[in-house]
Amino acid sequence: MSKPKKMTLSRKHNLTGWVFLMPGALLILLMSFVPMFRALLLSFKTGVGAAMKSCGILNYTRMFQDTVFIQSIKNTFFYLIIQVPIMLIFALILASILNNKNLKFKGLFRTMIFLPCATSLVAYAVIFRSLFANNGIINLLLVKLGILNQPYAFLTNVWSARIVIIIALLWRWTGYNMVFYLSGLQNIEYSIYEAAKIDGASAVQTFFRITVPLLKPTILLTAIMSTNGTLQLFDESVNLTDGGPANASITMSHYIYNMSFKYVPNFGYAAAMSFLILILVAILAFLQMKVGDKRD
Amino acid sequence: MYVFLIIVSFISVFPLYWMVSAATNKSAEVISGRLIPGTYFAENLKNLLANQNVGGAFVNSVKYSVILTLVSLVVSSLAGYGFEIYHDKVKDAVMSVILLAMMVPFVATMIPLFQMFSTAGWLNTTIGFILPTISTPFLIMMFRQSARSFPHDIMEAARIDGLSEIRIFFQMFIPTMRSTYAAAMTITFMNAWNSYLWPKVIMTDATSQTMPMVVANLTQGYVTDYGMLMLAVLICTLPTAIVFFCLQNAFAEGITGAVK
Amino acid sequence: MKRKILAALLASTMVLSLVGCGGGSDAPAADNGAAATEEAPAAEEAPAADSGAAEEAPAADAAAGGSTLTVWCWDPAFNSNAMYEAEKVYQKDHPDFKLNVVETPWEDIQTKVTTAATSGDLSTLPDIFLMQDNAFQKNVISFPDVCADLTNSGIDFSQFAAGKTAYSVVDGKNYGVPFDNGAVVACYRTDILEQAGLTIDDFTDITFDQYLENGKKVLEATGKPLISMQAGECDLLMMMMQSAGASLFNEDGTANIVGNDTLKVVLETYKSLKDAGVLVEVNSWDEYISSMVSGDVAGTINGCWIMASIQTAEDQKGNWALTNMPSLVGAANATNYSNNGGSSWAVTTNCKDQALATDFLASTFAGSTELYDNILPSGALATWAPAGDSDAYATPNEFFGGDAVSAKIVDFSTKVPSNITGVYYYEARDAVAVALTNYINGADIDTELKTAEDTVNFNMGG
Repeated sequence: MSKPKKMTLSRKHNLTGWVFLMPGALLILLMSFVPMFRALLLSFKTGVGAAMKSCGILNYTRMFQDTVFIQSIKNTFFYLIIQVPIMLIFALILASILNNKNLKFKGLFRTMIFLPCATSLVAYAVIFRSLFANNGIINLLLVKLGILNQPYAFLTNVWSARIVIIIALLWRWTGYNMVFYLSGLQNIEYSIYEAAKIDGASAVQTFFRITVPLLKPTILLTAIMSTNGTLQLFDESVNLTDGGPANASITMSHYIYNMSFKYVPNFGYAAAMSFLILILVAILAFLQMKVGDKRD
Repeated sequence: MYVFLIIVSFISVFPLYWMVSAATNKSAEVISGRLIPGTYFAENLKNLLANQNVGGAFVNSVKYSVILTLVSLVVSSLAGYGFEIYHDKVKDAVMSVILLAMMVPFVATMIPLFQMFSTAGWLNTTIGFILPTISTPFLIMMFRQSARSFPHDIMEAARIDGLSEIRIFFQMFIPTMRSTYAAAMTITFMNAWNSYLWPKVIMTDATSQTMPMVVANLTQGYVTDYGMLMLAVLICTLPTAIVFFCLQNAFAEGITGAVK
Repeated sequence: MKRKILAALLASTMVLSLVGCGGGSDAPAADNGAAATEEAPAAEEAPAADSGAAEEAPAADAAAGGSTLTVWCWDPAFNSNAMYEAEKVYQKDHPDFKLNVVETPWEDIQTKVTTAATSGDLSTLPDIFLMQDNAFQKNVISFPDVCADLTNSGIDFSQFAAGKTAYSVVDGKNYGVPFDNGAVVACYRTDILEQAGLTIDDFTDITFDQYLENGKKVLEATGKPLISMQAGECDLLMMMMQSAGASLFNEDGTANIVGNDTLKVVLETYKSLKDAGVLVEVNSWDEYISSMVSGDVAGTINGCWIMASIQTAEDQKGNWALTNMPSLVGAANATNYSNNGGSSWAVTTNCKDQALATDFLASTFAGSTELYDNILPSGALATWAPAGDSDAYATPNEFFGGDAVSAKIVDFSTKVPSNITGVYYYEARDAVAVALTNYINGADIDTELKTAEDTVNFNMGG
């Protein structure tokens, strides 16, 4: 008797689930997958502007001969490998500090640390450029402290330009990720921390034994988001260094944008390069999910 | 710890301080790196209002962002909840596919999307602005991850009490996940407020311009008035900051023991 | 609880919208005749999600016989102002005429034009839009459906400076009405030159060799370089190239980088200036402007529109002087004149009343000295020859030591050698910029030029 009833119940739940997710899923199908499919078709075509003709997989083989594109892949991965781990760890540390119930001025600190990502891109670009200018504050300080003899052109030297971009990214997005951790931390009973404290666990131990494992779903979310965001990185490259010097800091998305809107538009090729990004992000996200997305 | 926080906050806030003081200085003073607030604020404000339709753009931005945020939260959280609470192999697979949707750079899908929208007659409309970003893989995934910590025993108890599934969502899930909603609201509002590439493609009327467009307009001349620009940027930044400040307690300090 | 959050959000947005409305209602009061302010009340009242009203606007123009033209351009102080002045001039004979100027940054115009043309829906385009001269060839050739052919529209193109008109001519057809002047000027701080015992005459009609020698004297006497340039941008290179009538492309559209003697001379000249410290590279455009107005360098060489930025340094009034640029040494056809920047008006094929649009342009930007006199104070210098004869152009400019700079620049612009922009202009420019950066840092010039040509050919092969 109970068996068929349970069957229908689980089927009913199954159906409810579909009903719940349908509006969102349909919108994504229409607003993302339909255009994506059209872009995919476009990636097998070539031509200038609106006049396109079929070209097979030429666009895909072409990008491996494109030295600028290969440079942009290297740059992007450099940002990914250096910046994302530092940012996420830093955001986690900040979140666990700011989750402390006994901390004073929490709200103020949180808001201040979040502010960078709310700052409009225009302002942030102007500010960073002026900070790192030849006569900017950073140079002024370094010269005054005797670290440098003369101002260093941060944005026009290969490695310093890349590092400035990483600093800018850290500045802008750490607070953003902190928000997710702060909200994720609400799902952890505060009493667990108090118990750990009574047991004599140090702050570091608590962090690694309690916070990190329990925040795993959120960490996975931010890791995938940041990976995706970094591989599609565009704003910093365009606004801080304009990809320079000599393409040393250009990102894949920046190059794709140039290919679409700055140069003689070649949308087939731009679409093909975009799908390479899709493939790269998908592989990385898949690996991250393998590691992090288990329901225990 | 306070020292650490103060240093981090200082680094975070410094550029913002710079922006505020720049908004009160003359353009030439701004680019020469003057850090002390000046007396040019009123003049910058006058120039800005004469130069750009800030009021109209602000109203547009508020309208688009608020509508988008509210609709988006309902649609995406419902989907995220559906994916997690009723998860099975098929739904998990669908979720992975949905994640793919955020991995293609927008530049590539923009033109097909524009074609669809211009055929539908949605250029220069609110629906045109909001529709592509109502349901985002990111928000769905965020709600899916947080639904994972939604206690199953509550659900079972509610079901035994005879609550329908949709009421469980609205009456149990939403209040429990307050902190997630608050965080999602902040982020969605911020993204909506700052979105630029899509609006600039579909908004071709002077009357449907948004705040980021006003800011972009100011950077285009042969001469950039930095004082005026920074004032516009300041006006463009404040709403997100205020929304964050109002919501941060909600997402960082869930009321413990409300739902157990 | 959700309600509380909602309430907080709504409350804060309401407060903000009140602030916004306050700002908006001030706008018309502070009306300087600048862009978009007249639109303020309309924007305030625009109902939510009203697709009907938004769609209606362009359609209504067409139905009304096209007495309104929609224009896209991007600088309220400069080119949108010029459009409003043109509207006033044209309204004298056509009282029903109205312009709807939508302020749109150039990059956004490019994005919109590309998007509309690629998706095959040109109905979103305005009647007239302003286009960067350097992008003209690219757009006309990539999107042949977008710009209307103006060759036989009754506009007399012969009255414009030849070097300027050439930008918007494709296959012998005129697609653009030239607007602002980009003739290159060299501006110097006379007070700084004086400390090195030099005057503006020592910089007039000179070669880059003399420029370098003078620069060394100035550097020695004051410690200040003569000029600053944005690193990684090759504005100066392109100006030098055009001053000798040279291009990065051949007539047939193929890249002309390897074996281009003028380009080699240009690169070497640039490097020698930089090595001597006479030219200093800065990180960004902001820094470039700042180095001039704060007196860190003794001058600059750029399109004449740069004067507007220089003149923001009010305290330096009278300390600046203007002359022509140095000429290249060792290049064929070297002159002291070049061009950088500038833009032209294009009429779209979406324009329902082509006759009105062209008549409007013909009787204003290609036919009214009054218009050019009116927009001169905003720094918009004509490339339309008759405008230069007007008295307004002979007025001395006190900032530049009482010199009649406007007339001087119009004279310069008539002497600018024309060159080939090429369809792949931006590709070539970026490739050469990479070559320049590497060459300055010690790479071999021939290898770098080869790489640059390969990059351009690769792009053209797509």
